[in-house]
Amino acid sequence: MVQIIDKKLLPKILTGEKNKFESNVGELIFKGIPSSPGLAMGKAYVLKPDNVVVRPKKIPQDKIPNEVERFDSALQVMVKDITDALEKVKGESPNVVAILETNLMILNDEIIINSVKERIFKGISAESAVIQEYDQQEQFIKKSKDNILKERSFELEHLKERLLATLRNKVISYTIPEGSIVIAQSITPTDVVNFKDAKVLGIITEAGGIASHSSILARSFEIPSVIGIKDLTWFINNHEKVIIDGYAGIVTVNPPDSSIETYKTKKAKEEDHKRELGELVKLPAETLDGSQIKIMANIDFPEEIEAAVIAGCEGVGLVRTENLVISLKSFPDEEVQYKWYNEITERAYPNPVILRAFDVGSDKYAEGMPMLEKNPALGFRGIRFLLHRDDIFRKQIRALLRASRNKNLKIMLPMISSVNEVEDSFKIIQECKKELEGNSIPFDNDVPVGIMIETPAAAFMADRFAKLVNFFSIGTNDLTQYTLAADRSNEMVTDIYDTFHPAVLNLIKNVIDVAKSNKIPVSVCGELAGNAAATGLLVGLGIEELSVTPPMILELKKRIREMKFKKAKKLAKEILECNSYIEVCKKLAIF
Amino acid sequence: MIERNVKVRNRAGLHTRPAAGLVKLAAKFKSDIYLVRDGFTINAKSIIGVMTLAAEQGCELVLMIEGEDEELAANELSEYFESGFGEL
Repeated sequence: MVQIIDKKLLPKILTGEKNKFESNVGELIFKGIPSSPGLAMGKAYVLKPDNVVVRPKKIPQDKIPNEVERFDSALQVMVKDITDALEKVKGESPNVVAILETNLMILNDEIIINSVKERIFKGISAESAVIQEYDQQEQFIKKSKDNILKERSFELEHLKERLLATLRNKVISYTIPEGSIVIAQSITPTDVVNFKDAKVLGIITEAGGIASHSSILARSFEIPSVIGIKDLTWFINNHEKVIIDGYAGIVTVNPPDSSIETYKTKKAKEEDHKRELGELVKLPAETLDGSQIKIMANIDFPEEIEAAVIAGCEGVGLVRTENLVISLKSFPDEEVQYKWYNEITERAYPNPVILRAFDVGSDKYAEGMPMLEKNPALGFRGIRFLLHRDDIFRKQIRALLRASRNKNLKIMLPMISSVNEVEDSFKIIQECKKELEGNSIPFDNDVPVGIMIETPAAAFMADRFAKLVNFFSIGTNDLTQYTLAADRSNEMVTDIYDTFHPAVLNLIKNVIDVAKSNKIPVSVCGELAGNAAATGLLVGLGIEELSVTPPMILELKKRIREMKFKKAKKLAKEILECNSYIEVCKKLAIF
Repeated sequence: MIERNVKVRNRAGLHTRPAAGLVKLAAKFKSDIYLVRDGFTINAKSIIGVMTLAAEQGCELVLMIEGEDEELAANELSEYFESGFGEL
């Protein structure tokens, strides 16, 4: 990590209260938004913004054909740039190709080309015509309620700026020296492809969103990137030494030796870790006979997402939002929650994220809760508490709905044991949607809502719940303690608390079968999902989605890649007929 | 001229990727192809046009096609909508 000379300033920088810090030895530290994880040190290569204001310039009648030609050739240059970039990414993921193709399509859009030309024919310069037309199109898109589309309007802006630069023969050259860290006002997806080709070590921009195409590309090319540092291009000069930390979003310029040493230690650790993960990261989680399993991550804090995505998870299967309550020791207001949820969904984008409503109570206390329950695990927790304190519940639902605007958020209800709890929750969700609609606040109207299956009641009645909700997630820890009536924190009964008990496994089997026949997704997010012995069993039972803590992802993937689905299915069938968990464990040991 | 009612079926709606697919498909045909949403008409061969529709899941649109290959175009385009742009 970067060493901050004045330690008192570190918290301020990390919390964004201050985004710049200058030390007495010329070291500059900036805090931005981490948009692509990784560490790098290199020499700054600054792409200065081209801030020439173009005024509508009248063009004499006889110069009009010349202006049209200038526009045509600028367009051709850019089309060629993107086509070349497309050639370079052949064989990369279809997403990467699609992003560049979209840029190409916007440039080649006949409607836009024709209206630019029509504008030129009215007697204005090619530059003015491009600005007018692109600005108008941008306005169209910005009016859209769709958040993703709004993000796309930045791309139009980039394309416009680049067209203008090309018209002025100021084509950005990519003769960037190897080992550079690029600092720019904003960049296009094409730039990212070219940066990768030029072996650029890191990208830092003043503008940009985490969900923008450029950020997605930087992540898929594994180029560390930090975005959103205002006016940065004015603070850094070419060839200055820069350290970029794409995990924390920190940029250090002119680091002293001590900071460089710290960086080197961190970098060595990162490399060891990457080597360890090896090639496994890029391989799919697939059994030897071709069954695909989705591996998701259980996370507690937004910062964990990057590591999970690097390890190859396909989304976040469980965010325990009560961590927010526990760390703040009180229930945060809607705005704080919204920011937190939004950051998580943006970081994970385009992968889905399942956020579980506050599961406070039982062993997790917070302010405003009854402190003394005789039997908290069987007491006032999860949905029971939320429906009672619907002021808290509504605040959370509103914050979740607002963060759903990126369309990759799912809501999960904890501790469900009866149908009316789901119906009451849906009523509240519906009312919150109405409120947001009334205030013209965007959200995903079709946001999927699912439930935790962690009480035997929910597991038995899975068929009723399946008709109401969009997905199930099996919480094996609680399901085990409730099914076996054995407190998982009581050491006197640890030999009874065993998830491999046939009663628990048969309940899980029922839930999986019901979910399948109702065509809704079902995952396992409890400890069993990460248990080495259980992977074959769960896959054999028909689970297609497992959610585990990020450090488990690769090990789980390795296990899946070494097993055969057919064999796992046979094993599961035998195990369901066992009489005790001891028998089950014996069978698992052979597998 | 052919008119067809189509519906957006995939969850994410007519976002960038399906929009690009739609424009690519439309560009194959000689006919003029338009999409209408609530009286708002756009040229289906224009990526920006299709994107500004901001058509979400469940949204109903009208395809209007006129030209020598209108029959074929209508069939292939409705099929593309029907398949949820390959995202179902």
